[in-house]
Amino acid sequence: MRWIIRRREIVADELRYAGEPPVPGAVAVHGVAQWLAASGQLQRPAALLLSATDEVEALAPHLDGVHWIVIEFAKIGEGRGYSQARMLRQRYGYPHELRARGAIKRDQLFLLARCGFDAFDLDPAEDPAAALAAFDSFSVAYQDGSDELVGVRQRTLAAPLSG
Amino acid sequence: MYRYDQIDQTLVNERVAQFRDQTQRFLAGALSEDEFRPLRLRNGLYIQRFAPMLRVAIPYGLLSSRQLRMLAHIARRYDRDYGHFTTRQNIQYNWPKLEQVPDILADLASVEMHAIQTSGNCIRNITADHLAGVAPEEIADPRPYCEIIRQWATLHPEFSYLPRKFKIAVTASSSDRAASEVHDVGVRLKRAADGALGFEILAGGGLGRTPIIGKLIRDYLPQADLLAYLEAILRVYNRHGRRDNIHKARIKILVRSLGVEEFRRQVEQEFEANREFAPRLTPQEVERMRDFFAPPPYQPLADAPPDAAQPAFQAWYRYNTRAHKVSGYRVVLVSLKKHGEVPGDASAAQMDALADLAEQHSFGMLRTTHDQNLVLADVPQRALMALWQALDGLGLATPNIGTLTDMICCPGLDFCSLANAGSIPIAKQIHARFDDLDYLYDLGPIEVKMSGCMNACGHHHIGHIGILGVDKHGKEWYQITIGGSSAAPAALGEVIGPSVAKEAVADTIAKLLEVYVRERHGEDERFLDTVRRIGLEPFQERVYEMDHSAA
Repeated sequence: MRWIIRRREIVADELRYAGEPPVPGAVAVHGVAQWLAASGQLQRPAALLLSATDEVEALAPHLDGVHWIVIEFAKIGEGRGYSQARMLRQRYGYPHELRARGAIKRDQLFLLARCGFDAFDLDPAEDPAAALAAFDSFSVAYQDGSDELVGVRQRTLAAPLSG
Repeated sequence: MYRYDQIDQTLVNERVAQFRDQTQRFLAGALSEDEFRPLRLRNGLYIQRFAPMLRVAIPYGLLSSRQLRMLAHIARRYDRDYGHFTTRQNIQYNWPKLEQVPDILADLASVEMHAIQTSGNCIRNITADHLAGVAPEEIADPRPYCEIIRQWATLHPEFSYLPRKFKIAVTASSSDRAASEVHDVGVRLKRAADGALGFEILAGGGLGRTPIIGKLIRDYLPQADLLAYLEAILRVYNRHGRRDNIHKARIKILVRSLGVEEFRRQVEQEFEANREFAPRLTPQEVERMRDFFAPPPYQPLADAPPDAAQPAFQAWYRYNTRAHKVSGYRVVLVSLKKHGEVPGDASAAQMDALADLAEQHSFGMLRTTHDQNLVLADVPQRALMALWQALDGLGLATPNIGTLTDMICCPGLDFCSLANAGSIPIAKQIHARFDDLDYLYDLGPIEVKMSGCMNACGHHHIGHIGILGVDKHGKEWYQITIGGSSAAPAALGEVIGPSVAKEAVADTIAKLLEVYVRERHGEDERFLDTVRRIGLEPFQERVYEMDHSAA
């Protein structure tokens, strides 16, 4: 069984992607085009796979019944998913699971979580325990985010260091 | 200057710990070179020809004497006793050991410094006018906004994996000493008709393989919207900038392919759509930041320029000092362009001595400039003689600022694995050929900028004379451009013709100067003005006259 991280816990993955053998009880993942063309006929709650070039604006009016959005990071350094996630969470108010998948190492988890991802399908070579610890790489941040850290630009209460 | 509080200090400390872990994983084989590269790059660590190169951030070029002493300590302890100041106002070390880099970062963190985002496809060091806060003509001190942008850009959750690097420059002067027109984004302070402070925003400028002058995107942006507007620009770029071709991935290519009107429309639309979620600057926040950059405790001094008669001092005063907005004070430029030395290099001993001099004469503060010199910004006029003598003894008083030999020079083939040709040997060739200061003074202000490859770290496109190293069948050749300028209005130089052989670079420049001296209208017409007036042809004729007879 494949593992993923969901809200900082290691859990079994219930999603199955195109081309993978069917598993009883598993949820099939659809492409965005397929969903937009035939969402009425597809089972809900549904899971969608977004590529870096899928426009979230086009998907936004059709998020009813979508409970998983998986954003694919095809290679190291791919950054479009960060914007897709923030737009889905903030502008379009998407409340369900937002999962990052693909070329993701533990080093990306902190920022991904800040952009609103709450589930992570990592490079299988990653050590799950070390990955969990990576969410706490930083205890402070300059910007507001989707995690519990609050942007600290306005810090009238922060005390200057001496010396 | 800005001082860290617990939050800033915690962030850099945690970054050191994170990088230490990443380095250890790489050394243990748990990270491949491909996996480690983007991680080390966003912390300023390159693998160069002979050794790693570590680039340390000097935010908008501002340094305390304590920080400069730490830079000297790092040079001495981890490197070969010197550092190289760069065109992004940063410092680079050419010989650190990979396994020691986490220790270097920890030392830096102890003086409120870091190497975060000094390379990699992210928002780089914010650069600014090196005369910020002391220039008589500036609209307001740009540094509070630089620090606000620096904090916003640091480990930005959304904009840390951009298509390509992203450079922001801030200026508040019509002279534009920050070269804002050749940055991915240029932020220019501006007052509205009612006196309110805001910004003019440029985007899509840049040098490199495809040099482009930035386009005006927003004529006036209210202060409160600064970060929101930057987020809109970055989001449009992050989503739509090209990622399939590294040479077409900068924002300038996106702006050019969309057209400035369409790019502006997309940015404005994103800006409006995201208002609810974007950060807004409050007046209190700006005020708090402004307090960090309050003027130092100037003495009430009469304006009394030194009247010392020594010609050497007078030359230094004329070329290496600038007017200060406060009576009785002067700005001193410390030349890192001594003839025969590598442009931009400073030894550990020089850095330590400069830290002392800054404490004695300039409130313990220094600045770095994008043309690779240092600045003591607040020197009482009555201290100039003593300061000059001290700088002269350190080899830091070459009176050549703004002249031909005050050239910008990248590390080139001697260090950089990207370079096609050497830069430093050419700088030395030019220094040797034009060693007569009187001749340099007669030529007046000339900016020579040199890059060892088309990535243009040496800004050759915007040199009055630009020199670009190219590789021809394994040999080093040099393409010459003239007529470029970073000062507003910025201009890109034009190539004069076929590139010249390595040993002919200084001779070629001599020919260009011959034409200038012959053609100039009076002593006040600069080289750049003459080029603009008469065009390339007379220069081409002189440089390539042998070719005509051959053809």
